[in-house]
Formats: sequence, C-alpha cells, structure tokens
Amino acid sequence: MIDYISLFQNLSNGILIGAVYALIGVGLTLVFGVMRTINFAHGDFVVMGMYLAVALNSAFGWDPYVALIFAVPLGFMLGAFIQKYILGRIIDAQPEAMMLATLGISLVGANTLFLIFGGEPQSVNVSYASSTVKLGDINISIVLLLAGSITFLVIGGLFYILNKTEIGRAIRATAENRIGAEIVGVNTKKIQAIVFGLGMALAFAAGVALIPVLFASPVTTGASFTLKAFVVTVLGGLGNIGAAVAGGLLLGIVEIFGASYLSSAYRDAYGLLAFLIVLLIKPEGLFGKTVKRV
Amino acid sequence: MKKNYILLIVLLLVGCIYPNLPFAYLTVGITVLLFSGWATSWNLLGGWAGQLSLGHASFVGLGAYFVALGASQFNLAPWWAILLAMLFAGILALLWGRLTFGLSGPYFSLSTIAIAEIFRLVAINEEWLTGGASGVFIDILPQPFGLDFFSKTTQYYLALFYAFLTIGITIYISGRKIGYQLRAVRDNEEAAMAAGINPLNVKLKAFVISAVLTSIGGGIYGIFLSFIEPHIIFNLLLSIQIALTVIIGGRGTIWGPAVGSLLLVVSGEIFRTTFAQANMLIYGVLILVVILVMPRGIVGEYSHKMIKRKYAKRA
Amino acid sequence: MQNALKAENITVKFGGLIAVNNISLSLSEGKILGLIGPNGAGKSTLFNAITGFTPIAAGKILFFGKDVTSQPSYVRTRSGMGRTFQTERPYEELTVLENVLVAAFLNHPKKKDAEEVAMFALAKVGLVDRTHQLSSDLNLARLRRLELAKALALEPKVLFLDEIMAGLNPPALKEMIEMIRGLTAGGISIVMVEHIMEAIIKLADHVIVLASGNKIAEGSATEVINDPQVIDAYLGTD
Repeated sequence: MIDYISLFQNLSNGILIGAVYALIGVGLTLVFGVMRTINFAHGDFVVMGMYLAVALNSAFGWDPYVALIFAVPLGFMLGAFIQKYILGRIIDAQPEAMMLATLGISLVGANTLFLIFGGEPQSVNVSYASSTVKLGDINISIVLLLAGSITFLVIGGLFYILNKTEIGRAIRATAENRIGAEIVGVNTKKIQAIVFGLGMALAFAAGVALIPVLFASPVTTGASFTLKAFVVTVLGGLGNIGAAVAGGLLLGIVEIFGASYLSSAYRDAYGLLAFLIVLLIKPEGLFGKTVKRV
Repeated sequence: MKKNYILLIVLLLVGCIYPNLPFAYLTVGITVLLFSGWATSWNLLGGWAGQLSLGHASFVGLGAYFVALGASQFNLAPWWAILLAMLFAGILALLWGRLTFGLSGPYFSLSTIAIAEIFRLVAINEEWLTGGASGVFIDILPQPFGLDFFSKTTQYYLALFYAFLTIGITIYISGRKIGYQLRAVRDNEEAAMAAGINPLNVKLKAFVISAVLTSIGGGIYGIFLSFIEPHIIFNLLLSIQIALTVIIGGRGTIWGPAVGSLLLVVSGEIFRTTFAQANMLIYGVLILVVILVMPRGIVGEYSHKMIKRKYAKRA
Repeated sequence: MQNALKAENITVKFGGLIAVNNISLSLSEGKILGLIGPNGAGKSTLFNAITGFTPIAAGKILFFGKDVTSQPSYVRTRSGMGRTFQTERPYEELTVLENVLVAAFLNHPKKKDAEEVAMFALAKVGLVDRTHQLSSDLNLARLRRLELAKALALEPKVLFLDEIMAGLNPPALKEMIEMIRGLTAGGISIVMVEHIMEAIIKLADHVIVLASGNKIAEGSATEVINDPQVIDAYLGTD
C-alpha cells in the first residue's frame, strides 16, 4: 500500500517550496527575456531582501510581511538604477560582458552585506513560525503557506502587468525583438531599466517571504539561490514566465521527493542533475522556445 | 616570442631569490604562484578558446584529493598521485567539453558551475572515498632526496616550478599552429571554419590541457594545505577567483593571468587584515571597472596600445 | 578534363521557403564561373551550400570527382575549397600577418613555412606594408584584400569569392579585377558571386543567372546580359 498521507504531505511541501523557487526564477527569467543576460546577482538580491526584512524587524519590530510594502518598491528602484548606470552601458558588448558584470555586482553586493551585517546567519522569528494548518491528515506550515500565497499573488500581478497594460506590451515587444521594438518607438532603454527593477523587486519579495523559514548568510546563501534560480529557469525555459513557474514547482517537488525517497544528503544534487540533463538534451527547457545552442 | 622566454627566465631567477629576502612572506608567495599557474591554465580555455569556465575548482580539487588520499589511504607518492589526477582531469575535460561545448556562452558557464557543485556534493557525501565533510589530513609524505614536502620553502619552489611550467607552455603554444587556431576560433568561429579549423576539436584540446595543468597546481595546493575539505577545495568562490583574476589581468595574453594574480592576491592579503573575509569585494569592484573601462584587462589594454604604437612608428 | 566542381540538383530550404530550387552547375579547372542575379535570388545561399555553411535539403556536390556533400565546412576547406565572406571576418585581435597565418597553417604546420606562404599571399594582394597592423584598424578596401589573402593562403584548388568587388571605388575595382585574373594563371578555379557587371564581363568564362531561387539563364557573359529574361528579372525586382 502506498503511503498516500506522506505522499500528499511531500507533494504539498514540494509545491509550496516550489512556489517560492518559482518566484525567484520568474524574476531571473523576466530579466533574461528582455536583456538576454543571465543575472548572477539575482540570488544575492533575494538575500538583500532577506536582510532588509531582518533590519526592519530589529529596528522597528516590523513583521516581514509588512516589510514587503517597503521592500518591493525599494527593490524596483535599486534595480532600475543598477541597470541604468552600470548594465545599460555594456549592453552592446559581448554577451559574456553582461554576465561578468552581474557577477561583479553579486560580489560587491554580497560582501557589502557581509561588512554591514557580519557573517552570522540571521533570521526573523515570528510567533507563528512553527504553526501549521491541518488539511485532513496533512500538515501545512503557515509560513510556507504565506510564502506560497505571496508567490501566487505576485505572479498573478506580473501576468496582469505583462498582458493587460501598455508597459507590459512594450516589455514583451522588447523581449521578442529589441531592435524591432525600437523601430516602432519603444524606449527600450527605459524598458530594460524597468524590467531589471521588476526583477530585483521580485527577488526582494522572495527574500522577505523566505526569511521566516530560512537563515540568511550573506556570502553563501546568495550563490545557492542563484543556482536554484538558474535550475528553475532552465528547466522551464529561459524567458518564459509560465514555464518558470512550472520549473519552480517541478524543482520543489523533485527536491522533496528525492530527499524523501532517495538520499536526503544529495538533495541539492537532484536539481543540478536534472538541470544538466535538460541543458544537454532539451536546451530550450521543457517548455521554452529560446535557443541555447550555438 | 624570444622576449617572452627571456622575461620568463628572469622572473624565474627573481623567484629563486625571493625566499632568501628578509621580508619574504612565503605563504603569500606560494599563493601568488599557485594562482598564477591556475590562472594561466584557465586562460588557455577561457582567454584563448573563449569558453568561460566557472568550475575550474573541480580540477584543483582533483589534484588535491588525489594527493591527499594517495598519501593518507593508498600509500601513493604525490608525484604518482598527481599523474593520476592529470589523467583523470584530462578525461573529464574531454567528456565534459564534448557534451557542453555546443551550448552558447552563458549556458556553458552555468554547466561548469553545476558540475563543480556536483563534485563538491559527492566529496561531502561519499565518506568511504573522500573522508566526507570532515576532510582528509595528510600526515606523512615521502622524502625523496631528503626533501621535506611539509617545509614552506620546498612548497614554494614547487609552486614556482608550476607557475614557470604553465607560463612556459603558454608561450610555446602561442607560437605554434594550435595557438593561432585557438585565437582564430575565439575571434571569429565561422572564419576559422572557413580556414579549415574544426572548432570543437580545438576547444577540446584547450580544455584538456587547461584541466591537466590546473590539476597539477591542485596537487601542490593539497601538499601546501595538508588538510583538505570539500567546501574549501571544490569552492565556487575559488573558481570565480581564478576566472576573474584572468579577466582583470588580461584574457588571451601571456602575462595577464600572472599580473592579475599578483595584484589580486596581494591586495587580498592587505584587505584581509582590515576587512576580514570581505576581500572578494575587491574582485567585484575590479571586474566592474574592467568591464566598463578596460575590457581587455590590464595587460590586454597595454598590449593593444603597444601594438598600435609600434605599427604607427613604422608607417 | 575533370570538373573542378560539380553541383547536382541542389535544393536549400529555410523552413517552408525554398531558397534554392534544384540548381545544377559545373566548373572546369582553371576557369571562372560567375553567379549573378537580383537581390534575394539565392546566390549567397547556393554559395554557402556548396562551401558547407548552409545545409542542403537535396542534391550532391562533387569536388574533383569526390562526393563532399556530407562533409562539414572545415573539411571541405581541407579538400581544397577556399572562400571569402561578404561581410569581412577578420580575427580582430590579431594583426594582418597573424590573420593570414591562421589560414597558412592549414597546409604548413611549421610556423616558418606558414609564414612564407602567408607573406606570399599578402604580397599578391598588396598588403605587405601592413603586416603588423591590427586587422581591426584596416579600412574597407584593405579588409577586403585581407579576406582574399586569407583565402589564398589556404592554397585552394577552387576559390569562392562572395561579392568581393562590392563597394570598391574605380581604381580599387580595377586592381581587384587584375588580381583575380592573375590567379587563374596559377591554376586556381574560381566561383564568384557578383553584382558588379564590369567584373563579370571582364573575368567570367561562364555565367549562371539566378532569380527567386531558380536558374533562369546560363552562358557566356555577353549572352546572358542580353537575355531578355535576365533583363526582366533585374528590372522586375529592383
């Protein structure tokens, strides 16, 4: 007899964790779609969001979910700024130049956080951190539920912006064909700044959503998030938001199931292996259309 | 060409004198030399073949683990261990390159990160093989001709030899057919194909040589540390440092990687005493500066200017 | 005499679009074949197909009697095909001499020999005074000659020239025509895609006209130029 209870328990955990991965991945894929660059600093942006929540919590006692209101616009402005003054300057250089620049930003960002906050892992303790909600025999952690809900809300908002607004259309046009969009009158420089800002805002949101669940440690956490974000977006297909969501959920499920039914020590490796396999066999991702082969 | 060899010999002599100077910090010297070697090896793949690897720590780790395990578990002398590591590294590079060179730039780099990560996870988990997260301790090493491998001076000379070897090989290759083929593929792959060059083959050759050379340095690193842990050796940060060192120093040049190593290791040491642990900040700032202002790296920009000036004088 | 090159029933498709439709051609050793036609006729596509830079949907390519259809571009180069590119492709970080060396190494693995061959090619195109200049610093006319030098250093049996006369002013044009004419004396066969009629008239032994992917005329330069169908094709689409 299959243990349905633990199966569904794993499934629900996988989906909720996956939702947050999806949030991280969506930000990355959005930036890639428009700027055709892989942002190595994305994970560090998530960590920045986490630290923002920590700082606000220790200074004003704010609950992280309240901090979201502050974090999202701040993330947006910072991102737009970085794009405008740093990345925007090299957009026509070789594609690796962009990648390396984001690597530079990642190093500067992560180490600045280190200088400010020190190396001790930090978190925010909320009173409801270990509470759960029961659905039949399955326990669903409240914080995971909140994180998942925020994700779905945010992604829903993003879909709305991209599909129902003027700016959204401009963004999609720039993603499809930058030069074509310019010809039609789209201010692609502005769009790129907006999109990078959006990406960073999403990262901040993910960080805030995650801080009650995880610990933030400036130098290592950023890189591992970035790697997870890559895995998500490659699995789903870079540039494809819906696919990033699917990829995130898939990663969450793969990790949880792999850890439960195979070896938990190799939890991170399953995602990586899946990532490598997809990269080699179906580089456009399971759903994507961008070509990654030379 | 000849000038490069002369410079190399001069530097070798300087290097031999260094340990005898009163203020000589041998540890810093060893680090600079090891990094120069790794960076120069990386350059063959990243600067000449144009494939940015962010996973070179894998090869460092191979060298280090083979030496460490050889010494502590298999009674294998370091030179045999290094030879084995070289073989392993070469085969790995061959397979890995064959699989991933078809991927365009950023994706290739991503794949290198993933593979290095997998190495780290395996090293942590397969305790029976690698000692797991607690690492491997080298307590005994053979003493050929009375050489004490645990002495910093011996390690220094090993590192000096290593740096000398990698730069020498680079100079040699730069004057041969393969050196030109590599740079042609990097500068314009289609034109290279029209010139009868098979890009995949050429890149694979570069990768294999790069991997093999890096693993030698890894073995020396292992002796130097005498205690190997997965997260120190198979470290993403190390891979990034190696790559950035070359890019800042000058990709595709002969001396760029060494110059970059000298600059970054020394400033890292200075920074470390004041800002402990955040010395990667320097790398971040410098790489941004390089990308925005001098894309060819320090030596690269200098070299470029020199070529232009030399031609203008003649004309 | 053997055909230096024979292309049989070449068809190239891009998705559903037929860019080159069932075209055959042959080139005799030591002769010059011209490929002309209005823009979009498929000349460059056919050119790329024969040299191996574009895959073909159907057809066979015989090089000195040997079937090279399945060979990738770099193998065809080794067999004796040398080509230039319409948009110049110098190795930008390398000097003029180094650019040509890359090609010279194909048949001469030792640097000394390769250098000799490279200098010879550079002398043929008149770039000897610029051997140590960075290729990225050359003007258009010289870049064009560098392209030619790179192809010549391969010591090809058949030279493929892709619109090598384009954008040259009258004196440079004259020079280039003389240069090309001098090459066949050395036994090289040439296929040239061209828009500049003066070059075709002065150089080509045989001309093929393409329009919309099809061969619409074939013959000597004068025959072809006076062919009403050809005139129509040019006037119609331009």
